[in-house]
Amino acid sequence: MTVSASEFPPRTIAATPATGPDDEAPDLHDEVLALARSLPGELRRLTVRSGDRAIEVEWAAEARPAGSPVPPPPAQGTPDGRDIQPATPADPAVEVAATVRSPLVGTFYAAPSPGADPFVRVGDEVEPGQTVGIVEAMKLMNPIVADEAGVVAEVLVGDAESVEYDQVIMRLRPPGRSR
Amino acid sequence: MIGRVLVANRGEIAVRVARACRELGIEVVAVYSTSDRNSAVVDLADEAVHIGPAAARRSYLNVANIVEAALRTGADAIHPGYGFLSEDPDFAEICASEGLTFIGPPPAVMQQMGNKATARRLMAEAGLPLLPGVVEPVGSVDEARGVAARIGYPLIIKAAAGGGGRGMTVVREAEDLADAFTATRATARAVFRDPAVYLERHLTGARHVEVQILCDTHGNGVSLGERDCSLQRRHQKLLEEGPAGHLTPEQRAELGRLAVHGALSVGYTGAGTMEFLVDGSGSAYFMEMNARIQVEHPVTELLTGVDLVREQILVSAGRRLQLRQSDIVPRGAAIECRINAEDPARGFAPAPGRLDVLQVPDGPWTRFDTGYRQGDTVSPDYDSLLGKLVVWAPDREQAIRRMDRALAELRVEGPGVHTTIALHRALLRDPDVTADRHDVQFLDRQLPEVLARAAAIADAPTPGLPASRGSLSLVQPPVADAQPDPATPPEGTTPCPTRPSLSATS
Repeated sequence: MTVSASEFPPRTIAATPATGPDDEAPDLHDEVLALARSLPGELRRLTVRSGDRAIEVEWAAEARPAGSPVPPPPAQGTPDGRDIQPATPADPAVEVAATVRSPLVGTFYAAPSPGADPFVRVGDEVEPGQTVGIVEAMKLMNPIVADEAGVVAEVLVGDAESVEYDQVIMRLRPPGRSR
Repeated sequence: MIGRVLVANRGEIAVRVARACRELGIEVVAVYSTSDRNSAVVDLADEAVHIGPAAARRSYLNVANIVEAALRTGADAIHPGYGFLSEDPDFAEICASEGLTFIGPPPAVMQQMGNKATARRLMAEAGLPLLPGVVEPVGSVDEARGVAARIGYPLIIKAAAGGGGRGMTVVREAEDLADAFTATRATARAVFRDPAVYLERHLTGARHVEVQILCDTHGNGVSLGERDCSLQRRHQKLLEEGPAGHLTPEQRAELGRLAVHGALSVGYTGAGTMEFLVDGSGSAYFMEMNARIQVEHPVTELLTGVDLVREQILVSAGRRLQLRQSDIVPRGAAIECRINAEDPARGFAPAPGRLDVLQVPDGPWTRFDTGYRQGDTVSPDYDSLLGKLVVWAPDREQAIRRMDRALAELRVEGPGVHTTIALHRALLRDPDVTADRHDVQFLDRQLPEVLARAAAIADAPTPGLPASRGSLSLVQPPVADAQPDPATPPEGTTPCPTRPSLSATS
């Protein structure tokens, strides 16, 4: 289980009076970490606001409860939002490996900071779990990781460009094979 | 000023808002979940942003994605529609802090009105009539017993944070109080994450009457008449109409005055609804306020000619209300039927699916608001509202006949798809409904009978009903003040029977 959210100290997003006494902060930090560790499943994000004491937890897509209360209609082709491919999938004959998609709406950053080297370049090999970019949303930096191993074949989104949910950021081709 | 609005909703209300924006010359940004990627509002919008998978929790309730979508597309305002984030004060606050105009009341007012116990207290302070009860949450069974002894039975326990007809228990006898109290608190905690409940006298035989109000940010407010929403199933509205014909014009005017006064007293802005229960003598008691545009707003639009969504956008942009109370003259009668993708015969279970056939009624004063088109699929992930059929006529009798004609024209077919169309046609044939003497509990009480009639209508799908048998003039009192409209064909050709034969079918 990864607690990726703890890498990025959540900042209050609303104009809430978040300036609590300094001695309170470590307690809160510990509590949040404890909470993050105690939650089942893989977290994508944990947001804490002190204004009206809201805690938002977002799980990674795999942790979605499997049983939806209503059975999906027969007409619906792809009940699981995560693996939906575009209506016209890539040529099935070409074994294009994975795509890296944006899990949220925000701004894509190819590098950890302005002027720094990008996380990955075309031709780089990536491993599962490797950070390949960042999507900033509501002032939070969300690492974008590759789910599978592969070689970066194409980066479709430029640095600091907007991305929407499920937008393909980069394509990977199978590792150890050059085409 | 507002130049670009993000519509943070889906379905018919998203289309409704997009249309109002279009007419105002405002650009529209739609947001959509994966299952709505080909929906009508996406086509209507200038730009559309994919905000998440089908599950609402990760799309239409995903504050970060929606706000980011607004910022990224250059929207300067967000219209929340109804449901989803429309009454979430945190969301409204976040919009404000990001420099986005939230089309709705100020977050603090929304928060106060969102708590029914607080709303009750504030409206009591404003001088609105309330049913006997308390204005603060009741914390223990002992305390509840004390309150019950004072207000008497039957009483109703309500979740302070409740809404959507959930978290309410009617208690008829003292011996049931303790269990009901504990159970309602548990429900409130589970559903609304707030166990607070309060008690008030339960009115039997009452009507649900709500007043549409509109307030600007300069302290002006008007009422736009009322709607009667007494035809409900388990607190879920099915058919709404206006005006409340069972009230006198004086009672209706007073209700409107009270509603505006109550809303202005808490600094409300935008469109909102004050809900009242009205007893047999016409006495009204404030129930709660809905701080949003409502599903049934078209009823008021047809009665008054005021585009509520347009006005809502304009006042949120800071414009002064151009309407004075004297400008608002509700005319005629309007009815709305909620066409849900549900199977009434199976306990109103959701019956979504692909709409192989969707033929929408048309004709004079007939409006169908929907977010679906033929070939679309009603998703099981969201509420079952497929569309809203709304008609206007010079009087209630004609409105009922027009609605029945329109319902007969409406065709919805698809694998597994069921609707409430036949149920509505059955309701419009019920003698209590046609005589306008039904109460809030009517449908729960009469459901088996209404369902049987609906099944008969569905089994024998006549394109229309038997022609009226010459008694039309008996039930068509001359409408002296109806606007002459030579373009309208005579009503006699409509295939709806007169009232005597309506009764005969029951």
